[in-house]
Amino acid sequence: MAFAWKASGLTYNRYLAVAARVVRRSLKEDKRIQAERRGEMELRFAKWTNGKQGENKSLGAANEAAMAEAAGSQAQSS
Amino acid sequence: MMLSRAARPALRAGAVVSRPVAINGTPAATYATLREIEDRLKSIRNIEKITKTMKIVASTKLTRAQRAMNESRSYGQTSQQVFKEAETKPVEAEGKKSLLVVCSSDKGLCGGIHSGMTRRVRAIMGNTAKDYDIVVVGEKCKAQLSRSNAKQIQLSFAGIGKDVPTFADAQAIADQISLLPTDYSSIDIMYNKFNNATSYEPIIIEAFSEESIKESPNFAAFEIDDEVLGNLREYAMANSLFWALAEGHACEQSARRNAMDNASKNAGDMITKFQILFNRTRQAVITGELVEIITGASASEE
Repeated sequence: MAFAWKASGLTYNRYLAVAARVVRRSLKEDKRIQAERRGEMELRFAKWTNGKQGENKSLGAANEAAMAEAAGSQAQSS
Repeated sequence: MMLSRAARPALRAGAVVSRPVAINGTPAATYATLREIEDRLKSIRNIEKITKTMKIVASTKLTRAQRAMNESRSYGQTSQQVFKEAETKPVEAEGKKSLLVVCSSDKGLCGGIHSGMTRRVRAIMGNTAKDYDIVVVGEKCKAQLSRSNAKQIQLSFAGIGKDVPTFADAQAIADQISLLPTDYSSIDIMYNKFNNATSYEPIIIEAFSEESIKESPNFAAFEIDDEVLGNLREYAMANSLFWALAEGHACEQSARRNAMDNASKNAGDMITKFQILFNRTRQAVITGELVEIITGASASEE
């Protein structure tokens, strides 16, 4: 595997999001507050099965959980 | 103290009793009492105030949304440029599903832009032979589509539309879509295109699957390894989604501004109408009372 982040189960988008967050956090105080507002994400989502809406969950937490799982399964397979 | 307090209810009761009598005395004047008209007037004025304020809020948000839209457009278009140069075409694979991502928002009070999009989705569902699954962004279209196409909905996202959509939003949605178990032959993103301040139309941009990118005729010119192809696809989807969300957001604000503008105008019309009715009724009541007094006086004179 060529990329460390891929091996740890992150998707490219997640990798970019983490990188962007690091850059934002290293900005100076006044600019940082403005920039961090652009990184906020408070979406909720629900899975649908057979025309029924499932439970409303936080998207960020679900993404992290899915990636942790992906990392786990990849570690087993390699 | 005691006296005035005791006197007041009596006064008020007297006033209430005397008024309907006076109006009922002149049946030709009106069907509504003065007080009723006054109450309606008051409530319409309040509504006008509210809609005016909402219009102002939407106007200020619109300028921000438009700026965000113009910025996001370069994200989306640059990413689409790659596929245009590579002449990517969606692969028509047998038995594979397509995915339709509908970008609406959580908030209403903005005219018919959400239902316009829903109508378009239903039209597509009715006309195409493709097997579509739906992902809905925003509560409004979710509510509408869950009535007609509930079986096809795979995911729904909520919480969008409070503010200008961020790239983080788009990335998170793109991630969750790519986590879907089904392998889709193409992903269509539907959003409201901002033609000008008064016209929008739901259109579709395409995000391609890995095979269709690989099989596009000029793709070799970009010299992209197969290994990173998936990254390109995910990133392109986030870009397209961000573009669609931002443009949809601008449309929504602009539509809300127009809707509130119309509502304030209508309220203004109603206010003038009721004001005239109110004045006429008051005049009629006064005339009626005068007639009563004069006839009473002339009768007791004789």
